[in-house]
Amino acid sequence: MRRGGILCLAPLLLAACGRLQGFGGEAPPLVSFEVVFQGDLAPLRPAGVTDEHALRVALVWGAQWLTEPFCVLPAESPEAAAAIDAGCRDPFGFVPAIVSVSVPIAIDVPATLTLSQLPAPDLMVGDVTARVAYASLVVFDDRDDSGTLELSRPRRPPFTFEDERGFQPGRPDSLDVIYGASFVTMTAPDQRVAYREGAFDARSAFYPRAGCDPPLPAFSVLAAGGFSAEAALAALLSGGLPPEDPSTCAVSAPAETTIVIAARAPADVQEVGCDERTDDSSIRYRQPVMSLSDLASRTVACAQLPTFETGGGGPASELIQLVVSGRPTDQCMGLTHYTLRGCFEDVNCAMPEWDYTANPPAWWPCGP
Amino acid sequence: MQSVGPLAVDGGLVLAMPARLQTGLSSGIGAGVTRGRRFAWGVRGSWSSATESSLVWTVSHDDFRLRGVAALQQPAGRGVFALRLGLGPTFVYEHRTRAQGARAGLTGSDLESSALAVFPAVDLEGVVTLHVLGRWSLMISGGPTAMIADGALRGGWTAQLGVGWQP
Repeated sequence: MRRGGILCLAPLLLAACGRLQGFGGEAPPLVSFEVVFQGDLAPLRPAGVTDEHALRVALVWGAQWLTEPFCVLPAESPEAAAAIDAGCRDPFGFVPAIVSVSVPIAIDVPATLTLSQLPAPDLMVGDVTARVAYASLVVFDDRDDSGTLELSRPRRPPFTFEDERGFQPGRPDSLDVIYGASFVTMTAPDQRVAYREGAFDARSAFYPRAGCDPPLPAFSVLAAGGFSAEAALAALLSGGLPPEDPSTCAVSAPAETTIVIAARAPADVQEVGCDERTDDSSIRYRQPVMSLSDLASRTVACAQLPTFETGGGGPASELIQLVVSGRPTDQCMGLTHYTLRGCFEDVNCAMPEWDYTANPPAWWPCGP
Repeated sequence: MQSVGPLAVDGGLVLAMPARLQTGLSSGIGAGVTRGRRFAWGVRGSWSSATESSLVWTVSHDDFRLRGVAALQQPAGRGVFALRLGLGPTFVYEHRTRAQGARAGLTGSDLESSALAVFPAVDLEGVVTLHVLGRWSLMISGGPTAMIADGALRGGWTAQLGVGWQP
């Protein structure tokens, strides 16, 4: 082009030699992924759904998330175990942060998903010299015709103050139905999109793939066979990362691979459409409501506070918490914690914002 | 000593509306030489550059203006007022870079592209020259420009602040 420009200079032509585009013209995509969705959806449809409205595949960037202690510590009672089963999501599952682009897709027909924006820095884990973001490709039926996947969020039971002020227990569940994802959990084989800037920290615990080659610079498609939950807990207790079977690992450039997503029952994959209010395992304890009308539809348990929630290395709190799961019909699992005494920011605060220990609500099923 | 020779050389900083970029301010340098007294003629050239960004592109335009000029000059005390008409081509060299492209690993034409185009143009400038020291003078000029591009007449402006020298 430069040589052509010099030739253009020579005769001082009055006609344009090249085409200036300024800010116009079509922008090349930053990356493209080829996706194939396989399977038969008919037997997988949820009750009341008779067909697919608008099948799409979306790229969903993952969040760095830690489950709350109650969900990973040994259950202290059968009731607590039941609450964990009903209210704790897979601690090794993919947690969405934000939905990026989506395109229509049909079964067994390759679709091309292109990105025109890089993931924002808050989606990348690490510092500016070594950071990485991961994404799952999620196939969903866009039943609300929004053109994108709406994420759902665990819904809380109503509680006193916010409820009285007109707050809702959470946004309504998404109407979209998820039928598959390339990355559902670290305890199962996955294919994920990676975006890497700078070096790669192999000790990173952000959706780790210990034993696999690091992602390529910029975009790449990774595969891993997954590890068992038992192996993961054992590795974590020893201060390491759960190893992957190297024979199941793969790293490839986006143009060199096709991401295959198998159709699955929505109940098995809907968690990839559930984002979280907090991502650091912190818990916000709530003031008990004066009437909890829908307690019967939830799984509840009385339990002691996790010892490391008492803070300051002091003795364990004597408070008993009421743990309440979501309803079985909710799309996303979640727990809400109530105590008779505490503050919104610290359950063990010295000057409690509420204290019903001397006069618990009539429905309160736990001790003081 | 104040020179009154027929030859004048000048150069300085140029500010202009970019010839073909939709926004921004083009800045650079320019120079020229003229010969004559009441009526002068000569040639001028300038280069100026502007770089602007959108969400998708970072666009840089280098404008090269070559002009044959004719001027009417009127001395007044230590100064000279002039009206200068310039005619000639404007070369525009465009370089575009895809925003975020390098971070995404794009290369080649997916990452950047360039093009060169030339357009006929005309300038009409008012010029003020003030002799300050011997053969040296301060010069300021500016005025509208017009250019034919894509079959349409497009307006703009240019200005220069510099020094002059008369042997």
